[in-house]
Amino acid sequence: MRGEGALALIETVRQVRRLAAVDEKAAALGLSAGQKATDAMALVPELVTAEAEPEADAQALAALIDWCVRFSPAVAADGPDGLFLDISGVAHLWGGEAELMDDFRARLAANGLTFRLAIADTPGAAWALAHFGRDGSIAPPGGQAELLKPLPPSALRLEPQAAAQIARLGLRRLEQIIGMPRAPFGRRFGGQALERLDQALGRAAEALSFRRPPTPWMARLAFLEPISTPDDMARVTTDVTAKLCARLEAQDHGARRFEIAFHRGDGRALPLTIGLSLAGRDAKRISRLFHPKLATVDPGFGIECVTICAYDVEPVSGRQVRIEAGLAPSVEDGLSPLVDRLANRLGPGRVWRAAPVESHVPELAVGRTAPLGAPVSEAQPWDRETPRPVRLFRQPEPLEQVFALLPDDPPRQFQWRGRLHQVRRAEGPERIGEEWWKRDINDVSVGAIRDYYRVEDQAGTRFWLFRAGLYGDEPPRWWLHGLFA
Amino acid sequence: MSDFRAIRAKIAAMESAGRPDVGVLSFGEAALDDRLPGGGLPLGRWHEIVGLGLEAETAAAPAAFAALTAAPLAKTGEAVWVLRRDDLWAPGLAGLGFPAERLIQVCARDEAEALSVMEDALATVGVTCVFGEVEAVDLTAGRRLQLACEKQGSTGFVIRRRPYGGAAKAEGGSAAATRWRVGAAPSDPPAGEFGLGAPRFRVDLERCRGGRTGAWILEADQAYNWEAADVAHPLRLVADLGDRELAPAQHRQAA
Repeated sequence: MRGEGALALIETVRQVRRLAAVDEKAAALGLSAGQKATDAMALVPELVTAEAEPEADAQALAALIDWCVRFSPAVAADGPDGLFLDISGVAHLWGGEAELMDDFRARLAANGLTFRLAIADTPGAAWALAHFGRDGSIAPPGGQAELLKPLPPSALRLEPQAAAQIARLGLRRLEQIIGMPRAPFGRRFGGQALERLDQALGRAAEALSFRRPPTPWMARLAFLEPISTPDDMARVTTDVTAKLCARLEAQDHGARRFEIAFHRGDGRALPLTIGLSLAGRDAKRISRLFHPKLATVDPGFGIECVTICAYDVEPVSGRQVRIEAGLAPSVEDGLSPLVDRLANRLGPGRVWRAAPVESHVPELAVGRTAPLGAPVSEAQPWDRETPRPVRLFRQPEPLEQVFALLPDDPPRQFQWRGRLHQVRRAEGPERIGEEWWKRDINDVSVGAIRDYYRVEDQAGTRFWLFRAGLYGDEPPRWWLHGLFA
Repeated sequence: MSDFRAIRAKIAAMESAGRPDVGVLSFGEAALDDRLPGGGLPLGRWHEIVGLGLEAETAAAPAAFAALTAAPLAKTGEAVWVLRRDDLWAPGLAGLGFPAERLIQVCARDEAEALSVMEDALATVGVTCVFGEVEAVDLTAGRRLQLACEKQGSTGFVIRRRPYGGAAKAEGGSAAATRWRVGAAPSDPPAGEFGLGAPRFRVDLERCRGGRTGAWILEADQAYNWEAADVAHPLRLVADLGDRELAPAQHRQAA
């Protein structure tokens, strides 16, 4: 059979089923991406088709990018099927660019991927060589122009119109373009074509959006034999943290966030993150924060390599060993490790310090700030003269059987949580309106006004309750918002 | 009589073996201080505060009492409050004179976590008092809290609370230095003034190691006052209710 084993992926574009991608056999039979699926089936009836899954492709690419961090922290996705790896300053770890590429190739091949690799000074040149040049070409520094010369103009990542225009003029190879005068070239084919050419040749800079912010604060440990026991993982965590922290210490820096990634033999990278309340570089403390989380890492058939990156790096002045230690405890000694331990164990939202917010709406008057190192709030502190409850319910609780003698009078009795309370003493009302200036004028109504009363029942319990809205046709609702001391 | 005193001192020395002597926090009221060992609330220990009746779920009065009691401590260091239901409201604490800006609040997911956070915070340098809202502290957990208190001499306040209702656990033995039962008491504004007076509490000292029990009405007379006088302790004695044995039946009913 002619078309035996040919495979194509199909997508639906504007109600038309088209081929999204074809394999080598299908391409050899004259099929191409963008063709209508019915046409393709007519040409090659044996064609095996499957639905294209762009989301799954993107996920797989993202996973691949995660994995690539074992080679360099700066990895950028390129379209749906490619990626850039910035290997400046990391190739020597493998003994050179060729060795790095060999290692990369062997590991990618072990995962059953088809791929093409190239190394060049610029992303544009590397892209051109990888897509149109010899697989595995390495352009010597400054020498990408020579290698680019025999490639077709489409190697420049041009827009379709520019590429078509260049092809129509009979320009088949880049060497014909590279020597052209710049101004007429730019006029004829558009500024984008000129920019792409400059980027490929290193005459213009190109910004890549790296999937991770590249941080120079990175350390890695690779192992001869894959490791998997919890003890080993704890030890390598300590070791790699110490390696990074030694660098931070040497340059008087500290970081607030550390991300450790365990690279498994099957290519998956398992990240763990911890945060610090104050920038730090105490390896012992930081690795201890990672240790309880190590149980969540599944080492599978073994971990080959571990990397750690520091983020939010800032200068930290060196601390002298305190002579007067023991006289007054410093934040670094006690509180900041405590806050870090708690925030990393419970989650960041569960440890906070209350800070005043300038709002007279009770539930908005308290904001949550970081327990340590938060900037001093500009807001007015809470007014201590106005009595406020110790407990404020997140949702006010409805009251029943509320009797007030007159409108604007405090209630004489109310029922809350099934218990009837007789009011002995009361204060109020304190009228609190909504923040109408923050809303649309049409939504503003008296229904959102709350009249707060501070009342004390027969047993002495003090409540903070409010009536929502004014007296009108319908009886107003009463709510309990908080409890006083 | 002197023999008796000598024996008591001996016992006290044995009980406090290995424990740093961090002193006591005086209430500034002889009626209270005389009942407590050493003339004040022992520091470097942990104390249990139980709510009366309805307060078992809301624990507003116990929380306020704990904050008022510990306010002098919190002013000298950092304070940590471990919650299970995050309804503690800082403006209220600030109004009572508690330095709310020094308070770190932690919301734990369950009882065991709340206790372990308390333990961790108590053993931390620079933290002078730790509040924890938990349902019950068994003997093991209590002993662990005590050991944590002894590390840095910080003081723990366990506010017994069932934040989501449910049946009360049986009260067992406790390693706490003191146990207080606290409820709100009707306030008494000065004659001719409208509204509510300063917050009052009905406070029963139910257990006290090395001291005696008692019951009082206390008032936070400096609450909601910006120009609060710089007093040693924010709680004032209003009435001495005498020994709690006088009215035990009422407590059982209320609890």
